[in-house]
Amino acid sequence: MLAFLRKNQVLVSSGFCVLLSLYILTAAARGQLKQDPVGPILLWLMRPLQIGAQAATGWIKEIDQRYATVAGFRAENERLRKRIQELEVERSKLLEAGATNRRLQQLLEFRSHLPSGSITASIIANSASSWFKTCLLDKGSADGVRKGMAVVTPLGVVGQVVSATSHSAKVLLVTDSNSGVDVLVQRTRARGIISGSLDNVTIMKYVKRSEDIQEGDRLVTSGLDGVFPKGLMVGTAVKVRKQNLGLFQYVEVMPAVVSSQTEEVLVVNGEPNQAKN
Amino acid sequence: MKLSLLFFIVGLLLVLLQTTFLHLLPLGPIVPDLILVLCVYWGLYYPNVAAVLGSFALGYSVDVLSSPILGLNAFAMSLVFLAVYLSSRSIWLHNPLISAIVVFLASLVKGAALVLVWAVFLSMEGLWTGAARYIIMEALVAAFLAPFVFALLRRGQSYLEQIRVTAE
Repeated sequence: MLAFLRKNQVLVSSGFCVLLSLYILTAAARGQLKQDPVGPILLWLMRPLQIGAQAATGWIKEIDQRYATVAGFRAENERLRKRIQELEVERSKLLEAGATNRRLQQLLEFRSHLPSGSITASIIANSASSWFKTCLLDKGSADGVRKGMAVVTPLGVVGQVVSATSHSAKVLLVTDSNSGVDVLVQRTRARGIISGSLDNVTIMKYVKRSEDIQEGDRLVTSGLDGVFPKGLMVGTAVKVRKQNLGLFQYVEVMPAVVSSQTEEVLVVNGEPNQAKN
Repeated sequence: MKLSLLFFIVGLLLVLLQTTFLHLLPLGPIVPDLILVLCVYWGLYYPNVAAVLGSFALGYSVDVLSSPILGLNAFAMSLVFLAVYLSSRSIWLHNPLISAIVVFLASLVKGAALVLVWAVFLSMEGLWTGAARYIIMEALVAAFLAPFVFALLRRGQSYLEQIRVTAE
């Protein structure tokens, strides 16, 4: 027996890992996995690296943009080019500071419309897999972030916290195929559920054929799911189609928030009927 | 030991890359799956218990960082390793094209495993049509990158083995 195990140790350990992962998967899917002992450690290890890498990513983007700007002035003489570069660096810094200031001001103003106890957080990493639309925040349970809280910006809904460790939190974006946000058509109050899909298209489900919905209609949170405060923008209907068969209409949605262009967010406790906007 | 440490660092680096820098590539929603390429490499050139645990750990890391449900990627990566390991005896990797094909097939196995588990645990409408496009695109990107990643890993591995031989 021992000789067999020793001879086939790779095969046996592989089989064991497959079974172990299936066990974890089953337990997680049934909600029996209350404590993940490894996850918080890994997130704690990765957090500083991800913050550093994210800063470097921003730096690369900035260099890329700056190169594109400077390339246009190559024909000019050395003095002017130096001067332009200096001004460009200064301008870039000022613009960045201005943009950050504006964003934070908007966030601050928006925060006053939300239920009390909202938390400002920064996005430090995106999804590691093409299959999921998630992101990581730099705030966790130590800052008051809890599973189930809504993540929003002044532009609209970003997603929902699906797990939180002491100093980071994982957010399932509205555009993920596993997410679902209860929404209303602002004009007609028709209800539906907004969710992502693997086709990279965000759709509004369960809109009855009889409901009045048109392209360009604004879709806002209903507040009935107990996650998102009522009245927050989720997206705009961009394609409405009544298929020949079926009870529901096909509605394609353009999300209000593009997560890849978002840096700061608010994490809020979305108890129903609390929002003022 | 040194080799395992190298692979551990490489694995950590790849997870970091996949959550940050690789999002800068103009590939739309597709994130190049370098972790899969590493697991395939282990299955072919470094098949031992440490590599088995490494594949599981990398999949689990992706789950912790990105997946809404734990165990999904851990299962897929463990399965990929097992599939590559079982078929490694009949694969002779003599040129980059073959390595690209092996990674392409391994990516298909991973995609199929994800879809299967997804359908069982996270039943969802329109899964198959969307998934098919994702699987193919992800497999093509991984296959394209595989020869470069393989070359880098082989270089690192042979460098460390040379050092070990010299020390002995």
